[in-house]
Amino acid sequence: MIKSTLQKIYLGFILLLLYAPIITLIVLSFNSSKTRSKWGGFSGKWYTALFQNEDIMNALYTTLTIALVSALVATLIGTMAAIGIQALNAKFRTVMMTVTNIPMLNADIVTGISLMLLFIACRAFFPKFSLGFATVLLSHITFNIPYVILSVMPKLKQTSKYTYEAALDLGASPLYAFFKVVFPDIFPGVSSGFLLAFTMSLDDFVITHFTKGAGVDTLSTKIYSEVRKGIKPEMYALSTLLFVSVLFLLILVNTAPQDNVVKKKKEVGKFKKAANIVFRRVIPAIMVIVVVAGGFFYSSLGKTNASEQVVVYNWGEYIDPEVIDMFEEETGISVIYEEFETNESMYPKVQAGAVAYDLVCPSDYMIQRMIENNLLDEINFDNVPNIKNIGEEYFKQSKSFDPENKYSIPYCWGTVGILYNKTMVDEEVDSWSILWDEKYADQILMQNSVRDAFAVALKYSGYSLNSKDLDELEEAKELLMEQKPLVQAYVVDQVRDKMINNEAAVGVIYSGEAIYTQSQNSDLVYVVPKEGSNVWIDSWVIPKNAQNKENAEEFLNFLCRADIAKKNFDYITYSTPNTAARDLIEDEELRNSTTAFPDASILNRCETFQYLGTKFDDIYNELWREIKSK
Amino acid sequence: MKNKKRLLTGPYLFWAIAFIIIPIIMIFYYGLTDADNNFTLMNLAEITTPENLKALGLSLLLSFISTVICLVLAYPLAMILSGKSVNQSSFIVLIFILPMWMNFLLRTLAWQTLLEKNGVINAVLSFLHLPQLEIINTPYAIILGMVYNFLPFMVLPIYNVLVKIDKDVINAARDLGANNIQVFTKIILPLSVPGVISGITMVFVPALTTFVISDILGGSKILLIGNVIEQEFTHSYNWHAGSGLSLVLMIFIVISMALITKYDKDGEGTAF
Repeated sequence: MIKSTLQKIYLGFILLLLYAPIITLIVLSFNSSKTRSKWGGFSGKWYTALFQNEDIMNALYTTLTIALVSALVATLIGTMAAIGIQALNAKFRTVMMTVTNIPMLNADIVTGISLMLLFIACRAFFPKFSLGFATVLLSHITFNIPYVILSVMPKLKQTSKYTYEAALDLGASPLYAFFKVVFPDIFPGVSSGFLLAFTMSLDDFVITHFTKGAGVDTLSTKIYSEVRKGIKPEMYALSTLLFVSVLFLLILVNTAPQDNVVKKKKEVGKFKKAANIVFRRVIPAIMVIVVVAGGFFYSSLGKTNASEQVVVYNWGEYIDPEVIDMFEEETGISVIYEEFETNESMYPKVQAGAVAYDLVCPSDYMIQRMIENNLLDEINFDNVPNIKNIGEEYFKQSKSFDPENKYSIPYCWGTVGILYNKTMVDEEVDSWSILWDEKYADQILMQNSVRDAFAVALKYSGYSLNSKDLDELEEAKELLMEQKPLVQAYVVDQVRDKMINNEAAVGVIYSGEAIYTQSQNSDLVYVVPKEGSNVWIDSWVIPKNAQNKENAEEFLNFLCRADIAKKNFDYITYSTPNTAARDLIEDEELRNSTTAFPDASILNRCETFQYLGTKFDDIYNELWREIKSK
Repeated sequence: MKNKKRLLTGPYLFWAIAFIIIPIIMIFYYGLTDADNNFTLMNLAEITTPENLKALGLSLLLSFISTVICLVLAYPLAMILSGKSVNQSSFIVLIFILPMWMNFLLRTLAWQTLLEKNGVINAVLSFLHLPQLEIINTPYAIILGMVYNFLPFMVLPIYNVLVKIDKDVINAARDLGANNIQVFTKIILPLSVPGVISGITMVFVPALTTFVISDILGGSKILLIGNVIEQEFTHSYNWHAGSGLSLVLMIFIVISMALITKYDKDGEGTAF
């Protein structure tokens, strides 16, 4: 008795561990507030919003298609292989099983990278080949096959080969004998292999991350790109729906036979039959219908505009999704939209050219690097008449990275500064020194990117943030190392949620993010330190290998329209260089806010980043890694 | 007859060569060459820089600890599960796979919400006037994330070998006068070794190479070898160094494979 109680408690503890995060996610899906750190009351609105969110529904559809197709193909190839391997002699069997174990045991990251290298190498032979849906599918099949083989093999071992031979002796054809005698025996293995493969494909992130191309997103990659900005609550709603429906099916299938132990045998049979029909017929049928219907829907979406499209590569959460819809509606050009997290992660993708982007939105120093490496095409400004809305001063400022204003059109700009919580910091903050104040140990959020982190340290010591002086850099490194024990976390956009939620007292933040956080938590104050800081511009550029240059320019012209730029400003809250749009801002306080539109006295002490060349890139990276691994 | 059956391996053989063997060769190629395609061992030597050695050491330590915790948690669990009747246990086993239907990233992020300073767990603790739990952004949070994510991969193989143990063997031992402890140490434990080995490798290898868990739960303050490799590929764009480091990691994978082949002589695989 005690033993079984102990067992129950233990099971309960493990289940709590496994399901605590899931319950959290389910609760979050009913949270009416947009940030995960604040409970804004109960609401079911994300469930309705979910079905209107085309991005997420597309990602869901891609995920399910890839999971289903890859699991089916893997089940077919894997089952055949298992039967074949069984018939091999011991030596070959060991070789085959070793090969099978490779994707199972190999680190996801190695598998993903090795497949990416293969696909990119394929481009040498087939120039038109590019990373996309097909490459993800091939990769998923590859890592799914071993699961099927390893599920089927044990069952095959248990089947007696004599029944099969008896069937042959009685005149059955090999195929007939297989399906009537062997297959029913191994079916549990095949179906559990299929289920595992499906689940693994559904849950994979790393391999998809490395093998996917533009415009193809599974739920995993979509979520990863949202991590930095805060997950969209619709995602929680979707996961909850998925989870609950699978749970429901499981309960249905598993409890049915159990209740019936007491009931009459006949009924047991009935229930089992019902469960069988549900599991073997209805579910697969529903899945096939969903996929086929989705396929028609999907291809109709893609095909109508296949010739007229523009591939945009932008920062996460850096455009109002409605703007894209409006553009598609007005022009009939479909926008294939993809997001990146940092300049550094964007650059290799554009350089590799595995995906031909038409329009990219990097920051100043990265644009300089792209120009120097001959990756950019000149913009034909005749196609962008709305450029008149962009303030002259921003083009002047752009000259630091685009000397002749030929390659870029400013999109957003701002400063980097300190955001602090009035209730946690008593003093007046006007210097970077607060980031080294031991009073705030474990209360400090630093930027998790090389240049931003060094900019803080360099400026604090009174140097240029484009320093190429090794002694200065060494000094900055020492400062950052000294700071590390005080830092709570290195973050990019998560600083937003954490500051709103009072998780930290001080954080290094972009001015645009500061405006949003202040609207959510009025205790937050933004300052540009007296030692000076970074002023940055993110601008649109057109890569050399763009396939739809004119469409890209049409999109640019659309973005420069005053009403559209204003709409974007409302959504992303980053300062707009579009003076006509600024005039449209109704809220006078915001229009004249020094956070959103810093005045000359602030800007004079700020510097723009410059590209420092590969050599210094490596030095910065090396120093940064030393800091991070300390 | 057997000849025909062997042909069924054909498609898989083709697939394995194209998508398993060749990609591995590509990694070797990149790992052993420099930017000008000359042979070099420089990329392998990358691992000996103090930062990378430290990242590798920390990864080994954390994944070792997580594997031990997983084993300690999973073994009794698998014993309990294997003692249940078939119907109930298949349901319970599915319960372990079920969480995977919620995205892995979301589940890990949810731990962030739970563990944060003002998070759910601390709210409950402070309500009960208990001391606060401050492990977010520390290695402890990463270990928790690893244990949480990889526990099923330890439970399932051990469960699979335990249910296969012939009850007659255990009964025979009892008849011959063995007590519970003896039955466990002399019968159950030795017979479950293959499951334990495959469980250990299934937990240790992914834990060793993860970069997502350390990123999300470690506040990007803690650099594991997986993070280093990921950065080489996606930030520094140094495929050669990244491949070289991947090759170093493969040493651990080869060791795991050798272990598995040693204990799984039938070649049937005990993973699932």
